[in-house]
Amino acid sequence: MPDLTSLREGIVTGNAAAAVSAARSALSKGVAPVDLVTEGISPAMAEVGRLFEEGEYFVPELLVAARATKEIFQVLRPLLAQTGAKPRGRVVLGTVQGDLHDIGKNLVAAMLEGGGFEVTDLGVGVSPEKFIAAVQNSRAQIVGLSALLTTTMPAMKTAVDAFRSAGIRDTVKVMVGGAPVTRNYAEAIGADGYGENAAASLELALRLIGG
Amino acid sequence: MNDREWNTLVSVVQGETLRPLPVGFIIDSPWLPKWAGHTILDYFTDERIFLEDNFRAIRTFPRAVFLPGFWSEYGMCTEPSAFGAVSMWEENEFPFAKKILRSPQEVEYLEKPDPRKHGLLPFVIKRLKHLQPEIERSGHKIRFAVARGPLNIATFLMGTTEFLTALKTDPELMHRLLAIATDFLVDWIAYQRECFPTIDGILLLDDIVGFISRRDFETFGLPYLKKAFSTDVTVKFFHNDAPCKACAPLLADAGINLLNFGVQHTLSDMKAWTCNKIALLGNIPPRDVLAAGTPEDVKRSVADILGAVEDCSRLMVSCGGGMPPDAPTQNIEALISKVEALTQ
Repeated sequence: MPDLTSLREGIVTGNAAAAVSAARSALSKGVAPVDLVTEGISPAMAEVGRLFEEGEYFVPELLVAARATKEIFQVLRPLLAQTGAKPRGRVVLGTVQGDLHDIGKNLVAAMLEGGGFEVTDLGVGVSPEKFIAAVQNSRAQIVGLSALLTTTMPAMKTAVDAFRSAGIRDTVKVMVGGAPVTRNYAEAIGADGYGENAAASLELALRLIGG
Repeated sequence: MNDREWNTLVSVVQGETLRPLPVGFIIDSPWLPKWAGHTILDYFTDERIFLEDNFRAIRTFPRAVFLPGFWSEYGMCTEPSAFGAVSMWEENEFPFAKKILRSPQEVEYLEKPDPRKHGLLPFVIKRLKHLQPEIERSGHKIRFAVARGPLNIATFLMGTTEFLTALKTDPELMHRLLAIATDFLVDWIAYQRECFPTIDGILLLDDIVGFISRRDFETFGLPYLKKAFSTDVTVKFFHNDAPCKACAPLLADAGINLLNFGVQHTLSDMKAWTCNKIALLGNIPPRDVLAAGTPEDVKRSVADILGAVEDCSRLMVSCGGGMPPDAPTQNIEALISKVEALTQ
C-alpha cells in the first residue's frame, strides 16, 4: 500500500488540489478506490473531526476539508461503482421544508461520505414526500434532517410523522441536528439520534446502523 | 425604552451591581407578533400592529427592559435588501433574503448601498419617524441604532457555506466584501443617529463570528467590528448566540461593552474570558427552558445560573439569545419574579 500521508494532509489542511492530486497518484499506483476511502479519506476526516472537537478547528476549516473530500469523491465515485464496493451504509440527508440553510447539512454529508457512507443529499427546503421517496429509492438505513431556524424545527416533527404514515419509520433511523435543535427536542419528536455537531455525525450514524 | 430603563442599562454597563438584578430581553419578530396574536407579515407591514405589539409587551412586563426597544426591522432582509437582495415573505415565517453573489469574484462588482435610498432602509426609518411622537408621548425614546454585523451581512450576500469557505480560499476578496459591508454599516448607523438624535447606543447582531477561530476573528472580525462600533455612543451592544469562546477575549477591543451570548457558555466563564470588562445579558436557555419549560423549570434555571455566579456586577439577566418563539407570558413572568426574589 503506497503512503497516503499527502492525501490525508491535503484533506486535513483543506488543500483540495493537493488532496485530489495525491488521490490520483495513489490510484495510478494501484491503490484500490475502496482502500483510498478506508485508509485515506476516513482517517483524515476523523482527524478533522477530532481537531474540531478539541477546539483547534472551526467551521471554515471543516468546510475546506469537506470540499477537498468532495472533490476526491468526484474522482472516486465512478471507480467505486465499477468495483461494486459496498458502502458502510446509506444515508438520505436534507434541510427540512421551509429552511434554506445548508451549512450543517453539507458538513454532515462530507463527514459521512468521508466515513464510507453513500450519501443522497436532497438539498434544502426538502418536503417530507421527497424524503420518503428518496429513502424508498435508495434503500437508506438513515435519514438525516437538518434545520437552522427555530421556526423550521417543527418541520422535523412533520417529517417524522410523515415517515410513520408512509410506513417507513420502522425501516429507517432518523437523525436530526442543527443550531437550534437539542437532544430533548430530538427525543420529543421521536428521532433516533441527535448530532450536536457535524463532527459527531459519523459516530452517530455508525451507532445507528450498529456499525 | 424609558429614561429609568435606559439609566438602569447604563448603570449595568458602567459596572454597578444593582439590587435586584435587572432583567432584560431582546425582543423582535421571532417572538413578539405571535405572542401578541399577529402574523409576522402583519407585524412587518402594519405600523399600528408594530407599535401596539411593542406597547403590549412593555405593559405586560413593566419590570423588564426590552432591547433595543421599538426595533424597526424586517428580519434578516433589512440590510441585504439595500444591496439588492430579493426578499422573500411568508405570512408567518421569517423573511429570507436571496443571496446575490454567486462566487467570491463577484465581490468585485459589489457597490456600497446608500442607506437613505436603498432597499428597505428608508422604510425602517419612516416607520419609526411616523411612530416617534406616540413612542415619546408614552415616555419612551429611540435609543439604539441597530444592524446586522459585517460578517452576518457578508453571509446573507453570498451564503454562509460559501463565505466561510472563501475566508480560506479567497481571503483578499473576503476582506473587500467585509470592507464594503462595514463602510455601509458606518453610514447606516450614522443615518439612524441623524434621524433620531436620542440614539446613544448601537446594537449589532452577528452570529458568524462564533463560527471562526481566534486567529480568523483577529483577521476578519475584529477590525471590521471595531470600525462599525467606532461611533461615540454610551452603549455598544453585541449579540452572538453561537459559541464564542474564541472571540470573547477580544470583544472589548472592538469597543463592545454589552454582550448577549448563547447557552454554550456560563456567565462565570464569559466574565472570565472578557475580564469582566463587558456587561453580560444572559443566559437562561431560551428554547428548552424559557419557551418549552414550565414556570418551575424557569425558576430552577434562574436559581442554578445565578447560584453559579459570584460577581453580579455588569449583569442583566436574560435568556441566551433573543426572546425565543413561543416563550409564554407565565415563563417570562417566572423569570423576572425569581430574579427579583433571589437578588433583592
